[in-house]
Amino acid sequence: MLPHRAATGLIRIGKPGRDSPVLVTGNFTLTVRRLREALHGYDAWLLVANSKGIDVWCAAGGGHLTHHDIISVLRTSHVADRVDRREVILPQLCATGVERRRITEATGFATLWGPARLEDLPAFLDRGEQAAKSERFMRFPGWERMEMAAMLGVPLLVVMLPILAGVFGWATMTAGGAAVALFVLGLFGLLPWVPIHGRRRFLTFTVFAVGAALFGCGLLFALGAATAAHLTAVSAAAFGGIALASTDVAGFTPWYGSYINTFHNEAHIDLVADRCTAAADCVQVCPRDVLEMTPEITKEQRRVQITKPDWCIQCGACIVQCPTDALRFRYDDGRVVEATTIRRTRMNMVGRRSIEVGD
Amino acid sequence: MKVLESAPQRYDRGLSVLSRGRITEAYERIAALAAAPGKRILDIGCGTGAVTLACAARGAAAMGIDTDAGMLEVARTKPVPAAGSAEFMQLSAAEIEDRFAAGSLDAVVSCLALSEMSPEEQDYALQAASVCLVPGGALVIADETTPEGRLSRTAYHLRRMLVVAGTYLLTQATTRPVHGLCQRVQAAGFSIVSTQRMWSGSFLIVHAVKAQP
Repeated sequence: MLPHRAATGLIRIGKPGRDSPVLVTGNFTLTVRRLREALHGYDAWLLVANSKGIDVWCAAGGGHLTHHDIISVLRTSHVADRVDRREVILPQLCATGVERRRITEATGFATLWGPARLEDLPAFLDRGEQAAKSERFMRFPGWERMEMAAMLGVPLLVVMLPILAGVFGWATMTAGGAAVALFVLGLFGLLPWVPIHGRRRFLTFTVFAVGAALFGCGLLFALGAATAAHLTAVSAAAFGGIALASTDVAGFTPWYGSYINTFHNEAHIDLVADRCTAAADCVQVCPRDVLEMTPEITKEQRRVQITKPDWCIQCGACIVQCPTDALRFRYDDGRVVEATTIRRTRMNMVGRRSIEVGD
Repeated sequence: MKVLESAPQRYDRGLSVLSRGRITEAYERIAALAAAPGKRILDIGCGTGAVTLACAARGAAAMGIDTDAGMLEVARTKPVPAAGSAEFMQLSAAEIEDRFAAGSLDAVVSCLALSEMSPEEQDYALQAASVCLVPGGALVIADETTPEGRLSRTAYHLRRMLVVAGTYLLTQATTRPVHGLCQRVQAAGFSIVSTQRMWSGSFLIVHAVKAQP
């Protein structure tokens, strides 16, 4: 969860030759280790760029992994002397912060979008460096959600349980602990089916917090320890636990959206159809399957379509990558945020992008 | 969790607390070695621009580069001394060659930036600095290093454990001491003029010049 730095530079995977693929990643230790495991049996060059020890997606969104860092590792590792191919495979999720054309201008290396998840890399390479549509979508399967729930819930309980036990006694600890553990697990378990975007997310979290509090208080009654102080303590623990699981974890799941400035004036992805030249960069980098190309009628009529606007998590990848600035955010009140602003700004730890919006 | 968001804004204060107010003295020493009226100076890894502006205050035309756009935003809000000029640009040390022609700079400075780079990046940056400097141009590198004496080194490592935790909380950045700085500088074609150690040897300022052809 916390940044952990691996060494940057060029790593050999297997026995790469002059025609082997060149992959790029960030220097989060876990990512580098997982990549090596995933690519076991393959021959490839792996360029580890300086993402300040943060995973690729968070680093790119937060401005810690940019084209400057990738240009830097391409040049300082002197990889150009070792390969004949002038092409690097970028992780799809770095698209929120890395402008690929700048890399080509500076180094002469063409860029190619790899899959969103590193475990799809072998299939991507086997297919001749083509990502399938399903590999562009950021999956968040059940076991991973449970893993995240545990990573959040265990430290929380370690802090909370002794306090509850020490101040209010064993019954309160049991009721509070059970309520928090069950409802945090439940929230992550049900994530695909509950509304978690925009303002509606607050309703979801309130329902879970109230549910956890009621469950905890019920348990206190069952244990015969339902004093006013105990009930208050359990309710507070329940609200606190769910609040932590909901508000501070924008980067914790790939599905909570990031947002611009505030929830009160929501922004949505917007396509300026006259500017679109059907370059399809946006479709290739969207991790939420929001955009699609229209079915081919004639080449001139071919355009991008926003097919699932509600799925958008406002990561900005499509906006950053569009070569003609055809995508942007539009607020409910009609004001727009253009691509140049999105490229200049980055998100904070809770996924908030602060922008001054003019009229 | 406003920590990361406000990190660039708090970087200056954080660093000032960590160095117990002595960091300004280091900035002044660097500027004194490199800057003079009319000199063209590049500050690699300028962060919030303290060294760039210290050079401008001595009349130099200073240019600060950094990869962190947030830090640069803070730098741009600071007043530029009337004596000189200061400009900031988002650029990595490996991209110096794209913006600065060979022999177009009188001095290159860098404070607490090399320790953020990998060894290959450090060498690349020093090479690039050498190319962009005029013959006889000055290079001033200031960074964390490990003290030479064994006793002070042990004390340094103990103190560092606390400092690393503090640095992380205050600036969301970690620094690692640079190894073999003098050798790296020489390998890039510089001859060393002087070295100064500050703060029980844990901070090193290397002043070198590009060798005359």
